[in-house]
Amino acid sequence: MAQKIAAPPLDARRLKSRLLREMVRENLSTAAGGPPAALRRGRHRWRNLALGVGLSVLTVSQLASSRVQTASPERVAAAIVAATEPVPPAPAAGAADAERFARPTPIDPAVFPLAVRRVVLDPGHGGDNGGTRSPGGTLVEKALTLDIAERLRRLLEQGQFQVVMTRESDQSVALTQRTELANSAAGDIFVSVHLNWIVSRQSHGVETYFLGPTQDPELTRLAAEENRDSGYSLADLRRLLDGVYASVRESQSRRLAESVEHELFRALHPVSPDLEDRGVKSAPFVVLIGTRMPAILAEVSCLSNAEEARLLRQDEYRQLIAIALYKGIRTYAQAASHADQKGT
Amino acid sequence: MTTDGVLYAGIDLGTSRSSISASNGQRHVVDSYVGWPLDMVARKVLKKTVVIGREALDNRLMLDLHRPLERGLIKEGSEKDEAAVRELLQHLLALVGADGKNAKIRAVVGVPAEAMRINKQNLRNAMKGLTGSLMIVSEPFAVAYGMDALLHTMIIDIGAGTSDFCVMNGRYPTEEDQRTLTTAGDAVDDQLYKLIRERHPEARFSIHMVREWKEKWSFVGEPKDRVMVTAPIGGKPTQLDITEEMRAACETLLPPVVETMFDLLSRVEPEYQDRVRQNIILSGGGGLVRGLGPALESALAEVGGGKVKVVKDPVFVGSDGGLAIALDAPESDWEKLAS
Repeated sequence: MAQKIAAPPLDARRLKSRLLREMVRENLSTAAGGPPAALRRGRHRWRNLALGVGLSVLTVSQLASSRVQTASPERVAAAIVAATEPVPPAPAAGAADAERFARPTPIDPAVFPLAVRRVVLDPGHGGDNGGTRSPGGTLVEKALTLDIAERLRRLLEQGQFQVVMTRESDQSVALTQRTELANSAAGDIFVSVHLNWIVSRQSHGVETYFLGPTQDPELTRLAAEENRDSGYSLADLRRLLDGVYASVRESQSRRLAESVEHELFRALHPVSPDLEDRGVKSAPFVVLIGTRMPAILAEVSCLSNAEEARLLRQDEYRQLIAIALYKGIRTYAQAASHADQKGT
Repeated sequence: MTTDGVLYAGIDLGTSRSSISASNGQRHVVDSYVGWPLDMVARKVLKKTVVIGREALDNRLMLDLHRPLERGLIKEGSEKDEAAVRELLQHLLALVGADGKNAKIRAVVGVPAEAMRINKQNLRNAMKGLTGSLMIVSEPFAVAYGMDALLHTMIIDIGAGTSDFCVMNGRYPTEEDQRTLTTAGDAVDDQLYKLIRERHPEARFSIHMVREWKEKWSFVGEPKDRVMVTAPIGGKPTQLDITEEMRAACETLLPPVVETMFDLLSRVEPEYQDRVRQNIILSGGGGLVRGLGPALESALAEVGGGKVKVVKDPVFVGSDGGLAIALDAPESDWEKLAS
C-alpha cells in the first residue's frame, strides 16, 4: 500500500477533488486533440502579442510588460515565429525580387529573450551523401559529423538540455526533412555540424554560419553544394526567404554563431596552432532558411587539410570539438537566460 | 472488483519496469521490454508473436526488442514504439484478469513527466480501445496523490530513463512545477559499464549484467561492504571488486539532482520553501540507491536543512497512486472519458 505523509493543513478531500477535476479537464482536452491547458493559455496570450507586434501598436516599453517577462521559453519562441512569419504577399506580376526579399522592420531582439531548453542537432550529410573526404579518402564527413554530434548530445543531456537529432545513424535525410523535424520538435536552437573542404589544402580553420545573404562567390558555391539535395523548389525557397531575414532570429543566430565560433577556436587552436579563425559569416544554407529558430551551421574542422585529418582520427580531438560546441551553446543559453531573468 | 463489475486499475508505465495495481487486489510488475520475433525460426522457437518483459530481455537475440519509453518518451513517429506501449498495457491488464472485457475497465496510467509533456496524444492513441475509460497522468503526480502529498511537497522520482521532479503546491502540476533530467538509472548503468571496462578490460560482461549489479548494490557515500561480482575472464568465472566504480557511477546522479532540486525549490513561494524542504519524497529506482536520501539531506543543509523521505515500496508506489486516483474519480468523470 502507498505510504502516507502528514496530512496537509487544508481540507484534503476538497483539494483532491479540485485536482481530480483539473486532471480530468486536461485528459478531456487531450482526447479531443487539443494541446495541454497550459499551452492553450500560452498560445492565446502570444497570439495577442504577435498580433500587437504585427500591427505595430505595441511600443518596446509595452512589450517589456509582465506578459513578456513571465512567459515560458516555448511561448517566447512561438511569439517569435509568429512575429517573424509575415503573411506572404499576394503575387504581383513583375514584382521585383528585391522587393519580395525586403527586410522587415527591425525589432529590438532584447524584447525577446530566448531561453534555451531544446537543442536540435543536425549531423551533416549521411547515407548516400557522404560529404567531403580527407586527402587519402579514408575519412568521410558524414561519419565524423555523426560522431561529433553524438558526443555533443551526451554533453548537452548531462547539462540538462533536451536534444533532438535529425539523424542517429548513417542514413540519408533530406534537408527539408531535417528542417521539418526541427520545427515540429519545437527546438529552441538548431545546430548543424559540418566539416569544411578548402581548395587550398594548406589552409584550415573553423567558421560558423548563420542565415543571411552573401555576396561572396566562394560562400555561394559552398551554400549551393550544401543545398544540393534540399528538395525545395525555387518557389518554396522564396516563400521561406520572405520570412527569414527578420532581425530577431538573425540577431539571435548571429549571437549563437559568435559564441560557438569563439569556443571552437579557443579550444582547438592550442592543439592545432596553424588553425585559422575564419570567423562568423552569413550564408543562405537551406537548413538555416527552413528552420524557425535561431540556427547555425558550424564548420568545425577542415577535412582537406592533412593535419586536421590526422587530428580528426583521434577520439580526443573529436571530443574537444564537441566540448567546444557545448560550451558555445551553453554560453549563449546562459546569456539568453540572464536576459530572461533581468526582465522578470 | 467493485459490486457493479467495474475493475479499476492504476498503471505505472515506466522506462525500465511497469507495474499495475488493481481494485481486485492484484499487483504485478514486468520489465518494460517488448519484442517481436525477428524471423520464422524465432517465432517457431518462441511460439509467440510478441514477447514481453523479462522473457523478451532473455531472448533478445531472437527479437526486434523495444523499450518503448526508453528516454522517457515515445520516439516521435515510431509505430513500433507505439505498438510496444499497447502490447505492454494489454499484457499488464491481462495479468490482473482484465482481458476481453474492456468496457468494464477504468485505468489511470502514469507516464514519465516528459512523455506527458511531449507526446501525451501519442500515448492516448496507443492505448485507445484497451480500456473502457482511461486517464493519463504524470508519474510524480500519481506518486504524490497516492501518498496524500499534495501540498508543499516535492517528489523526486528517479527512474531508468528519466529523473522527474515535481513540486506539489495544491494544484494540478503545470510545466513550471516540473523538471525532467535524462540523468537517471540508465546513465548510471552506462557510466558503471565504462568504469568497469576501463579497470577490467579483459573481463566479459554486458550492460544487462551491469544493471543487475547496480540494482543489487548501488550506493553513494561510504560503502557498507565491498561490492564483489563475478564475470568471466578468459572463460573463467572471476571475482571483481567494483566498489569504487559503483560509488563513482552512482554519485554522478548527485550534482544534477541536487541542482535541479535547488532550482525548483528556489521557485517556490518564499514562505513555503521551508515546508517543501521538509517534505521531499524520493521514489523510483533511485530510492533504492543506498545513501542517496541522506546525501540529498546533506546538500539541503546548505540552504537551511530539509528531510528526504524514501518511499518504502518504489515498485508499486506509482501504480498504487494511480489506483487511488481511479477509485476517487467521480463516476461522471469516467463516463466523460469513456472511449
